[in-house]
Amino acid sequence: MKPTAFLHSSIKDFVLNVNNDYRYLKTGYYVSMHAEVLGNRVIPSSESIIDANRTPILLLKASKAGIPTLPYLVTDSVKQIMAAFDFPVVVFAVNPFSYDGFKTARNKSALYRGVKSLGMNYKFAVCVQPLKGEMISFKSIFGKCEQDQALKQISGRAYSVFKIPICKLHVQRVGHEAYLCGFQPLKKEEISSDDMKTISEEIAQMSNLGEHLIG
Amino acid sequence: MARIACFVEKYNFTDPREEKALQNFKQAAARSGHEFDFMFRENVSVIPKYDAVFIRATTDPLFTAYVVSRTASELGLKVVDDPESIQICGNKIHQYALFEKYNIPRIPTLFINREEFHHRQIVEIFREFGKPVVVKAPYTSFSRYVEKVACETSFREVALRFFRKSDVLAVQKFMPTAFDWRVGVLNDEVLYVCKYMIPKGRWKHGAKLRGKPTVIWGRTFSMKRENAPARLKEVALKACKVIGHGLYGVDIKEVSGEYVVVEVNDNPSIYAGYEDLRNKDVYGKIIAYLVD
Repeated sequence: MKPTAFLHSSIKDFVLNVNNDYRYLKTGYYVSMHAEVLGNRVIPSSESIIDANRTPILLLKASKAGIPTLPYLVTDSVKQIMAAFDFPVVVFAVNPFSYDGFKTARNKSALYRGVKSLGMNYKFAVCVQPLKGEMISFKSIFGKCEQDQALKQISGRAYSVFKIPICKLHVQRVGHEAYLCGFQPLKKEEISSDDMKTISEEIAQMSNLGEHLIG
Repeated sequence: MARIACFVEKYNFTDPREEKALQNFKQAAARSGHEFDFMFRENVSVIPKYDAVFIRATTDPLFTAYVVSRTASELGLKVVDDPESIQICGNKIHQYALFEKYNIPRIPTLFINREEFHHRQIVEIFREFGKPVVVKAPYTSFSRYVEKVACETSFREVALRFFRKSDVLAVQKFMPTAFDWRVGVLNDEVLYVCKYMIPKGRWKHGAKLRGKPTVIWGRTFSMKRENAPARLKEVALKACKVIGHGLYGVDIKEVSGEYVVVEVNDNPSIYAGYEDLRNKDVYGKIIAYLVD
């Protein structure tokens, strides 16, 4: 069923909302919201859509659920960041408008640039984490990914907490350990035909249970 | 003794009346022996040291205030406004969908979405609601992002501007009144009642002068909550129950003897000498709720 058609409907059933972009105020969000107002169980919930897109809340909820994360700081002051962490650091936007995730800073001037651009000229705060290893970004589709075991585990556990079917995860790898750092919606172009196959397999599996599928 | 953190931004101190209200909160807390500290964006990491968080900075699921609220709630602190209320009140589409579900008396409202926005729909809306109609973006606050349109051209212009951020908008019937009721509600009880007057020749409480950036605000008349119409309070409490049990400001219009809800706001503005004028216990009651 098309998302816009669903927004007019009053279906009472489990809803699986499949979309590439679940950002707040986008159609993907409104579908989940509408399903909740109708009193349906829905994947993903509107609350986890908001929470997963805000890095500090993502990290807080993930660490509560036992997913490895690094310490973070929410602020708009460069001095405070420098007092808390040594370089290099990775800066995530807390502002809602940025689409592509993070910037790494190896010195003071890069940090100023990163905080200024991701904080939209200091209007919003940023979320800073220390950079101890290398950053890896990968697609996670129903918690599945084509990466090694440590990343697969993170991806699966992140899906069990937030239940966002299609997304991109930013993970930091330090030695053999992997830490969840950030979340980002996927662009339509980034979804390959293999991914489509995984998606339809998952949907087929779920639809055996008899739900309404929106996507 | 409890420790309360009050999350504020710099702009909360630009208006002396609002600053006075914040100081009143601090004094009310001190009177009952509680600690009340202002917390700015730079030091939100101190949240775990407190027992309760009171948010005065403008709330929206997209602002830092939501991060503060959700963090506090995840850590098990008492928080006003709670994240669920911010989510519902910060998105008027969500709110009106709930009003429809629970049958709250409200201004006739329709939703339009970006994909299905075309000529025929506009004609139909004008036929149903008459001209003009009010177009509302879901993230409206302080009378911003609410515009009145009377023809298709301006409808398209306003809608396209609002569609840049949100894929769904609300369209409401235009109901001009001399004032809006504002009912402050805390924990399912009426806290204060005021009338927000509409400036002369305008149609909303905060109106812009043509071609100027300044906003003129209508006057505020406060009244004792006991003296407010019983039906008004009943409608306000009914609307808040749908959303939660925190602190809300309900906007209500009185149209030919009927009370209809315009919207419920979380984080209602409290200015010294305005909302609190006839209900001096506003501060004490909020503090008591926070430490309860």
